[in-house]
Amino acid sequence: MRGGGVAVCTTTCEYSRLHACSGGLLSFPRTNPIIASKPQPLIGRNRSIPLFTPLRVSGSRGGGRPRMMTMNVAATDTLQKGIAEFYDESSGVWEDIWGDHMHHGFYEPGSDVSLSDHRAAQIRMIEESLRFASLSDDSVQKPRNIVDVGCGIGGSSRYLARKYGAKCNGITLSPVQAQRAQELAAAQGLDGKVSFQVADALNQPFPDGEFDLVWSMESGEHMPDKTKFVNELARVAAPGGRIIIVTWCHRDLSPSEESLRPEEKQLLKKICDAYYLPAWCSTADYVKLLQSLSLEDIKAADWSQYVAPFWPAVIKSALSWKGITSLFRTGWKTIRGALVMPLMIEGYKKGVIKFAIITCRKPAS
Amino acid sequence: MRLLTHNMLSSNIKGVTNGFPLRIEVEKVVEKEVDLNMDFLRNMFAKIEWKALVEASRTMGYSELPDDAESSMLDSDEFLRKFHHALLELHLEEGALVCPETGRKFPVNKGIPNMLLHEDEV
Repeated sequence: MRGGGVAVCTTTCEYSRLHACSGGLLSFPRTNPIIASKPQPLIGRNRSIPLFTPLRVSGSRGGGRPRMMTMNVAATDTLQKGIAEFYDESSGVWEDIWGDHMHHGFYEPGSDVSLSDHRAAQIRMIEESLRFASLSDDSVQKPRNIVDVGCGIGGSSRYLARKYGAKCNGITLSPVQAQRAQELAAAQGLDGKVSFQVADALNQPFPDGEFDLVWSMESGEHMPDKTKFVNELARVAAPGGRIIIVTWCHRDLSPSEESLRPEEKQLLKKICDAYYLPAWCSTADYVKLLQSLSLEDIKAADWSQYVAPFWPAVIKSALSWKGITSLFRTGWKTIRGALVMPLMIEGYKKGVIKFAIITCRKPAS
Repeated sequence: MRLLTHNMLSSNIKGVTNGFPLRIEVEKVVEKEVDLNMDFLRNMFAKIEWKALVEASRTMGYSELPDDAESSMLDSDEFLRKFHHALLELHLEEGALVCPETGRKFPVNKGIPNMLLHEDEV
């Protein structure tokens, strides 16, 4: 992003109220399913953005640069704590009902799925994402060193480590998730290959160029500073390495639009409050960020049609006897998240919310 | 936290030019046996910062690693075992990782390092 184009709240208001600020493109990365302890999103902090910058909204969608909201440090801190607590609270329940993958399944459009199909669909989501990024199973080319950004309880980390015989580091904001992730790795004999740390996706504790696969499965939506988030993904990627981002975005804006419509923003605001999400962006915004970093082979797609059965399934599981009793054992954050689930379905149906995949490759030299 | 992990963690506190390697403060070390995988070790050897590994393993109470190493040494079973032991079998369960420039401590609890930065470090 050149220059400004960001508005930052000066007050330490609930991060969600930032989205009520006028102007500014609020993109919400997808909300996380409430019950699901999703991969721990990592909230980053603004490092260099001044506390208050006049909002400059770029003009037409076509030529404009990504309009991103960023947060001041205090609000980011609040968001970060909220996220950690949300996942600390809800992790166990999700795992209990859904297992160790905290992301959407990939389904055939129009298919009829039962609860037992969801695990397979979640695995298919991983495989389809790898395929989309042209990641090969070829023994020479396959990744050896992977980072799972927003790793949750490590489902992807363990899966990828096993698949490629690779080493994998997972980072999450939630100490509870990191602990559980490591336990599961040890139980599955992957203790030597997979390790987890509590860390910030916007300030990854790794050297430059470390990983030949940078994996962010449904964690981008929690990042309050998309620019910083993408910068870090690119920084830690090795030359020739691949970056895979699967995340919730809002719909791309048309050339004549400066922001989402008021009722669309309204819908997203309710969702972001419950799921501890900062401003959303569009798929096009991610593409622009990757382009600005001179990353290569950038591909993006809207996979909303392939995830449609997911939310109804989560709601159904929440309403099951096990779901309800589990919810009662959690806490308000989890319950509030559960209550907001129908809004996710609404967002999809209205075409506001998009399930997006964006992949690219870091230049070899 | 294993030394394999330690070998890639660095302090990215604002203003720090070289946050690697992190010093280790030991409160509790645990040894856990892991199956030796030769291919894995060979792959890792190329990526490991050897001096950092030696230093770290000594802090953890293991002094068997040579000061310097080169890939031909991987042909020796004895070297492989020592490398394997230091890299994968020593765990820092409780303690801290210390930024080499600022002295700031990143706690390690139940084997998990917490690398989150404070507001003023960003």
